[in-house]
Amino acid sequence: MPNLWDALELQPNTDTVLAGETLPAVFWSGVAKRGDSVWLREKQLGIWRSWSWNQVALAVREIAHGLMALGFAPGERVSILSNTVVEWVLADLATLSAGGVSSGIYPTDAAAQVQYLCEDSATVLLFVEGDEQLDKALEVRPALPQLRKIVVFDMEGLHDLDDDGVIGLDALRALGRAHMAREPKALDERIAALDPQALAILVYTSGTTGKPKGAMHSHRSLVTAMRGYHHITAQYESDERMCFLPLCHIAERMGGEYFAMYSGSKLNFVENPDTVPENVREIAPTVATAVPRVWEKFYSAVTISVKEASRLQQLAYGWGLSVGMQVADKVLAGEPVPAALKAQFRFARWLVLDNVRKLIGVDKARVCVTGAAPISPDLVRWYLALGVPMLEVWGMTETAGISTYTPANRIRPGCIGIAAPWNEVRIAPGTGEILVRGPNVFMGYLNLPEKTAETIDSEGWLHTGDVGTVDAEGVFRITDRMKDIIITAGGKNITPSEWENELKFSPYVTDAVVIGDKRAFLTVLIMIDQENVEKFAQDHDVPFSNYASLTRAPEVRALIQGEIDKVNQKFARVEQIKKFHLLEAQLTAEDEELTPTMKLKRKLVQQKYAPQIDAMYS
Amino acid sequence: MSDDVLVLSNVESAYGPIRAIRGVSLKVRRGEISTVLGSNGAGKTTILKTISGIIDPRRGSVHFKGQDITAADPAKIVRLGLCHVPEGREVFPLLSVHDNLLMGAYTRSDRDAVARDIERAYGYFPILKEREKQDAGLLSGGQQQMLAIARALVGAPEMILLDEPSLGLSPKLTREIFEIVVRINRERGTTILLVEQNANMALNAADHGYVLENGRIVMEDRCAVLREKDDVKEFYLGIKDTGVRGERRWKKKKTWR
Repeated sequence: MPNLWDALELQPNTDTVLAGETLPAVFWSGVAKRGDSVWLREKQLGIWRSWSWNQVALAVREIAHGLMALGFAPGERVSILSNTVVEWVLADLATLSAGGVSSGIYPTDAAAQVQYLCEDSATVLLFVEGDEQLDKALEVRPALPQLRKIVVFDMEGLHDLDDDGVIGLDALRALGRAHMAREPKALDERIAALDPQALAILVYTSGTTGKPKGAMHSHRSLVTAMRGYHHITAQYESDERMCFLPLCHIAERMGGEYFAMYSGSKLNFVENPDTVPENVREIAPTVATAVPRVWEKFYSAVTISVKEASRLQQLAYGWGLSVGMQVADKVLAGEPVPAALKAQFRFARWLVLDNVRKLIGVDKARVCVTGAAPISPDLVRWYLALGVPMLEVWGMTETAGISTYTPANRIRPGCIGIAAPWNEVRIAPGTGEILVRGPNVFMGYLNLPEKTAETIDSEGWLHTGDVGTVDAEGVFRITDRMKDIIITAGGKNITPSEWENELKFSPYVTDAVVIGDKRAFLTVLIMIDQENVEKFAQDHDVPFSNYASLTRAPEVRALIQGEIDKVNQKFARVEQIKKFHLLEAQLTAEDEELTPTMKLKRKLVQQKYAPQIDAMYS
Repeated sequence: MSDDVLVLSNVESAYGPIRAIRGVSLKVRRGEISTVLGSNGAGKTTILKTISGIIDPRRGSVHFKGQDITAADPAKIVRLGLCHVPEGREVFPLLSVHDNLLMGAYTRSDRDAVARDIERAYGYFPILKEREKQDAGLLSGGQQQMLAIARALVGAPEMILLDEPSLGLSPKLTREIFEIVVRINRERGTTILLVEQNANMALNAADHGYVLENGRIVMEDRCAVLREKDDVKEFYLGIKDTGVRGERRWKKKKTWR
């Protein structure tokens, strides 16, 4: 394991690993190159099973032929409604290989949402994970005349189902085998006929207001970004990765599935979203990409267990972390790390830091990447102090993921790094909006030409909606989402995300929405971290019965007030958060208040909790 | 003093390294029947054992009639008027029915009053009077349950802890027992804390309910309200919408609201 001061391994790698200008072409050249080596792993009945490239290829081929046997034509749309499982990747690659367009649907979406996404994308074939998702699909099927077949990955509990419109994945593969015997060349012809400029995937943006919009990406934009990812932080066939974020989201689709396909790094699928903390320890990824929420969770788990530890252990942790912080400060300042400090750090790693890394599961991580949402700079520093290079990237669905990145030798917590080599990034004069132009920029929003025209201007610049700054070295920093910036009644400009990130750094706060537009002072809606606050209540003899009573307990309110006070101190120069409201309902991804990535939807929350907000100002 | 006869605050109890209840706070109001619902291993019985002093909690406190009874001697707790009807009846099989009832009066010295209470107990359960002289081990399961409740009554309790009275009983017998439990509550004014797996019965009999999962309370409300909650319906009452296929295997996520 290298240390922070010698991040040489993270040097850019400009080799072309695999040829091909479309995703299927790249995939099939990967199969030809890697054959029997392992690509995917999943846990079945408690045991990790692996899929070699050849096994994946066979499954993809059979599924793709199965689609053709069902009359699937090039350019038609397929939707995938499933958690992150191996079959998701198989269905995706088969659809693309058969010349189709694939679109992901969040498994937490309600039936009505599934209907909208299928209608909007003109889905003819729908893959579903199992009976739970199938029930959603069947509920809205009468309203989807263009939907020809529903394919079920896992037929458990459905063997008695007698429905012409539903078929199991195994049955589809059998159809595919028959089709393959009849027309052995059909699939290769489809792959060869693919146009790199053609539409490949649809990624629906979660849309904090209104209906989700389907961002269209061509093979070219995805392949450009995928190759580019390898250039900025190379991965190898020896790398172990964890696949756990929803594959409908661009982060796991590009950074997980497609990047691993290109680089040959192994993708280990978690059992389900709830088992991530256990699975990450089993997998011990060498490259870990996650969203800030996940990194926050890991951090708060460590913080809480340190609180429970003995005095001696706490002292050791405090000392180890302070040595780590000194190293991080030197590295961040670009100064050499003195030999004595290096020795201390090695000892600190042996004594505590490596154990902390093991507890999280990042003990073997060469590099960790965070993106898709803002992260607290303090959190980045904490990971750096552990000796884990935590690199922040910035991008969005519309830029096929990464648009700016942090080179390992230029980490600056709070900054999103420099423009990735495959695209231009600049700040719009006047508005301060960040603009992106390059081959990775999307084709537009499906069925929404006006929205597309609003987003991509006549010169090809994508208007990202993020406001930021750039320094002389080309390092970008995001201030906030343009539409989220608050102007208080006193005329002060406030960027809520800065406050919110600091608040989320507290182990007791899961998410926060700062309010204060046209108001006299700032207030905040807070979603507490149930587990940690319950633990706090239990440790301090605060009686509570259910979640709501927890949020009402005066001691818990005092705890959150304390966390807010800490944050307020950092912002002493501007306005302060004067009041807060704790959300009393325990929210899940199924709830309308949260995006599928578990972020509070600012607009919706502000409307839904308007009475509570008004109460804070009255 | 408030209406709350029994107050548990942040009680944690463990069997060796296994924490069975992880911080339970609940209140039972005077003259009411409260119930704790939960599946196997949720920690229901542990709560009752902790209240009656059989298990000493790791943390937290138990107050009965304003008095701290945390980890107090079980006999002292009975003297204060809190009797426990254990899970699986636990009658003395080789003693006669009558002697079993006398065991319930172990802590009392007022013989006349005890005799009166035994007669009253027979009033609730006439079948026990008929079999007064028989060994308790020869009674049927339902009769043993009646005996266990009657034995608690002879302790002249202000409050009874009732642990799964429906265990191993037919639906008809369960209903009868519950009817008598409600009668005891209404006629004697005895406060009851009832622990049950038969959620339907318990929610109909009780006034206030708590739902316990993995050693923590996830929901509390008046029983009439609890009965209408989606999660209680689906996970405790077995009422679920079967979906488009007419059968549903998968479980919804519990949200407890």
